Amino acid sequence: MTLATNMRRYWIFYVMMAPGVLFLIFNNYIPMLGTVIAFKNVNYADGIINSPWVWFDNFKYLFKTSDAWIITRNTLLYNISFIILNMIVPVAFAIMLNEMKNKLMAKFHQAVIFLAYFLSMVVVSYLVYGFLHDTHGFVNTSIMKWLGLEPLQWYFETKIWPFLLPIINTWKNVGYYTVLYLAAIIGIDDEYYEAATIDGASKWQQIKSVTIPLLMPTIIVLTLLQIGRVFYADFGLFFQVPRESGPLFPVTNVIDTYVYRTFIAMGDIGLSSAAGLYQSLVGFILVFLSNWFVRRVDKDSALF
Amino acid sequence: MQTEMSKSGSNPFNAISPTANTIINIGFMLYTIACLLPILLIVMVSLSNEQDVLTKGYSFIPNQIDFTAYKFLFTDWQQILRSYGVTIFVTIAGTILSLIIMALYAYPISRTDFPHRKFFTFFIFFTMLFNGGLVPWYLVYVNMLNLRDNIWALVLPLLVSAFFVLVIRTFFQSTIPVAILEAAKIDGASEMLIFFRIVTPLSLPVLATVALFSTVNYWNDWFLSLVFITDDKTLSIQYLMYKMLLNIQFLASNSNAASAIAAAGGQVSFPNETVRMAMAIMGIGPIVFAYPFFQKYFVKGLTVGAVKG
Amino acid sequence: MIRTNKGVLGVTTTMLTFALVLNACSGGGGAASGNASPSNAGGAAESPAAETATPADNAASALEPYTIKLVYTGAPQADETKVEAKLNEYLKDKINASIDLMPIDWGPWDDKINLMIASRQKVDIIFTAQWNKHAVNVAKGAFLDLGDLLNENGQDILKTLDPVFLEGAKINGKNYGVPTNKELAAQGGIIYRKDIADELGIDMTAVKTIADLDNVYKVVKEKHPELTPLYLKDGETFNSHYFGNYDALGDTSIPGIILKDEDGTTVKANYDVARYVDTLKLTRDFYKKGYINSDAATNQTMNYDAMKAGNVFSMTSSLKPGKDKELENQTGMTGKLAQLELNTKTIATSETAGSMLGISSTSEDPARAMMFINLLHSDKYVNNLLNFGIENDHYAKVSDEVIKSTDNTKNYNPGAAWMFGSQFLNYVWETEDPNKWEKFKEFNQNAKVSPGLGFVFDGESLKAEIGAVVNVDKQYLTALETGSVDVDKVLPEYTAKLKSAGIEKIIAEKQSQFDKFLASK
Repeated sequence: MTLATNMRRYWIFYVMMAPGVLFLIFNNYIPMLGTVIAFKNVNYADGIINSPWVWFDNFKYLFKTSDAWIITRNTLLYNISFIILNMIVPVAFAIMLNEMKNKLMAKFHQAVIFLAYFLSMVVVSYLVYGFLHDTHGFVNTSIMKWLGLEPLQWYFETKIWPFLLPIINTWKNVGYYTVLYLAAIIGIDDEYYEAATIDGASKWQQIKSVTIPLLMPTIIVLTLLQIGRVFYADFGLFFQVPRESGPLFPVTNVIDTYVYRTFIAMGDIGLSSAAGLYQSLVGFILVFLSNWFVRRVDKDSALF
Repeated sequence: MQTEMSKSGSNPFNAISPTANTIINIGFMLYTIACLLPILLIVMVSLSNEQDVLTKGYSFIPNQIDFTAYKFLFTDWQQILRSYGVTIFVTIAGTILSLIIMALYAYPISRTDFPHRKFFTFFIFFTMLFNGGLVPWYLVYVNMLNLRDNIWALVLPLLVSAFFVLVIRTFFQSTIPVAILEAAKIDGASEMLIFFRIVTPLSLPVLATVALFSTVNYWNDWFLSLVFITDDKTLSIQYLMYKMLLNIQFLASNSNAASAIAAAGGQVSFPNETVRMAMAIMGIGPIVFAYPFFQKYFVKGLTVGAVKG
Repeated sequence: MIRTNKGVLGVTTTMLTFALVLNACSGGGGAASGNASPSNAGGAAESPAAETATPADNAASALEPYTIKLVYTGAPQADETKVEAKLNEYLKDKINASIDLMPIDWGPWDDKINLMIASRQKVDIIFTAQWNKHAVNVAKGAFLDLGDLLNENGQDILKTLDPVFLEGAKINGKNYGVPTNKELAAQGGIIYRKDIADELGIDMTAVKTIADLDNVYKVVKEKHPELTPLYLKDGETFNSHYFGNYDALGDTSIPGIILKDEDGTTVKANYDVARYVDTLKLTRDFYKKGYINSDAATNQTMNYDAMKAGNVFSMTSSLKPGKDKELENQTGMTGKLAQLELNTKTIATSETAGSMLGISSTSEDPARAMMFINLLHSDKYVNNLLNFGIENDHYAKVSDEVIKSTDNTKNYNPGAAWMFGSQFLNYVWETEDPNKWEKFKEFNQNAKVSPGLGFVFDGESLKAEIGAVVNVDKQYLTALETGSVDVDKVLPEYTAKLKSAGIEKIIAEKQSQFDKFLASK
């Protein structure tokens, strides 16, 4: 078949895809070409194309500061903790909801748990602010008082945020993952449990040897999807919730917020692009590695 | 799997012990309360008296119910109404366009007889693997497309999600029998007709799910406003909330409230804390009301679409 | 096989085409928009000086119509379009131009202006100042060199503006902004609620130093718990350059300061300056005592807006004669504010370049932009229309020079006169001293002249270090200066971070440039 016959037969397909292709070109592919900015010292008077090449100076500079290490560490550690929590907690929730005798109550709980998923990060930052504001916040004015503790300045206290952020993230996402796992559990054929009961397996044993193994493909797929994004942080969570408090940067600055700040707050587009490209490249490698790994474990669950 | 959903769920052959059931129930009860408390706190603060808040802090039980915050907020109702208008327009236009564009892209790449299927699948899949970063992306929208301070800047960037396109494609591939398509083609139906008359109606579950995700994404977006919008005329409700959390005087300095304060010569002061929380309620409200509807379809959609994708 | 390759090839070609479009747009700036004006300097890639050399005809009829976009900071005003229309009416005859006012709130100002500059938005006039990263933006090529433009289209500016201003605002011998013609000396202190102080019987004249404020704030806090005794925010603290009399010898975001009110010429990092550290500790003490708004480190509300809301007792401010009255008009608190000077009056480069209008290198008609700036410096009607709105609508005249507010004043009262042209052309509110401008001139006398007057540091060779330091500052500076964090614990941490970011290199370079300047004097 030649291209011409193809075009005649499938021209309508190209028309159908045209808006999408156009979008991808502008939204994704042209910006990819724009990564050359990372290798330039952009001077506005000369324009991007005519600005002098500095090759790896922006990268050298990025890795010379302690920032590169801090943002990489924060991004990875937070995301790893998120992935683990997003696996354990929802699986546990889903199993428990499934076992609950009162189905109406189970539905109600599920609905409430899911609610947080629909709130924007701006709303979440308001909710957190309501608790943590240092003079009016509920924690300082009530809880700390009941506990007989001195009020703390939560938005300056670097120690608590590494715990707080995973809690907030889990609280926000647990509903979504619970629904997915619950669906998978409900999909499990009752015959498996029937057989297990005949073998005299206790409830706990059934969960361990039937439910969890059968959930494994779902767990792997959902986790893999997150691992592929392990180098990308949830910008809203790290930007909105800590309210851009300077003293918290050592524990809240992630690659995404760094890219944003060096671009918008400092106007250094070369450095910002360098950090962005670093993120894209490492992210790219990590997707491949995790996919390769999953392929070895379970071929069907691999992304590609 | 869909049919499985209609069953009551847990296996009927053995149930957990009553003790375990009670513990699980209590546990969930506590967690559910913990989920609702933050929102309740915001509601209560917005209904408190500013003086009480300043002296006692935010509290779940206000000394008296006081609507001053809402009164102050509504002196600037034009801005709030306008912001709602922006958000609603963006959400509706965005969801519809995005659904059409994504489905139209997903259909050809779901057809095994389409020779360039692999290339176009990769073309979209690659965008999930690699991206150019914030700076070039921003410059494309602002310099090439000239969308600064333009309401379409809040719509366009979220139109296509590679992940959803692949989910839709998988759904097309796995649920639409090739035989039907063949039959239609033999009857002389054009591809467009097949797509709109046969494929779309059969794919409503996955399309509805994607539409719901889109709606939530558009409704909750503030980042696009943050980078593209300077003008007060195009402020979305989320961005208005963000601005008010940082700078409550954003309202005070622009609004009729300011003139009321000025007229009183500074004797009346702007109820910062309670107005802030009233604003949060304005932002949360619609989502909470739409939630029961949303939740139902989401659960349905997620269980058919995403797991397979 | 071949078929697929061809397809790929086709798409690749399309992409390359788009890439070329991208080049055209981001590279030339003006290439895509055509040559709309006789003196198009949009294609800034070539030497702007050569292009602007085209003689611009001053007769309005010979000029193409053009819209001048003016970007400045301040709250958007309700009647902005009304005032624009009035301005356009007049400008049409004068320079055949219309004007688009683009005010940006103080909170997002820094970020938005960075975006605007980085994305090459086509605007004409941008407010800039030494404390607002002027030198950094000049180094990036954001502003045009105004030398020829001033000679061609800015004759009235050269005639009326004290040459000290233009001289002091130079960077590498070139002017990239036209300074506002206003007071030359600077002084810092606080603006406070006179009505509250009177009510509580506080004698503010007894306050001579920051430490003396302790007792004042204590009383205020006791008697008026709903008031914030002192409102601080990012850049508006006891350690702001105007308050501490720190001369950064150019861009205030670049470290290394000397004291304006002393004669020493040793450039020091702020953590090595005793006054700075003492003030930090004092601020921290005030913060701990609850005098300062607790969210000072994160709040973006401008201090006079906070004042306007009615629950603030005092704020820091740079002062000049009648600043309190100016603010009264702006905040609507007539008769309720007073100012208190708390340091020595000085003159330094930072004042000469403390408020300027620059012409963006993206401007499509820099000559016209300069004509407009020229009008702001020489045309009383344009100047006052921009600053006070329309007569008998936003203000009413009491006499030729004195105006009073009307019911509609609140819809146009930007309070931005210090940014636009010559302040000596401004009307005076009836609540203000009618001799305000005389006072300004007096104020300029007997000021202590900073040893650094006329020197501007060039940081181009140390861009990387400066960037790193600015980054560290973003993390620590506001929290420290507003007293939000423990000074004893955080200051050493901050110092260590600055040192590893290369602050010592910057200071050494600044010192050596400064020494050369002093030697040549």
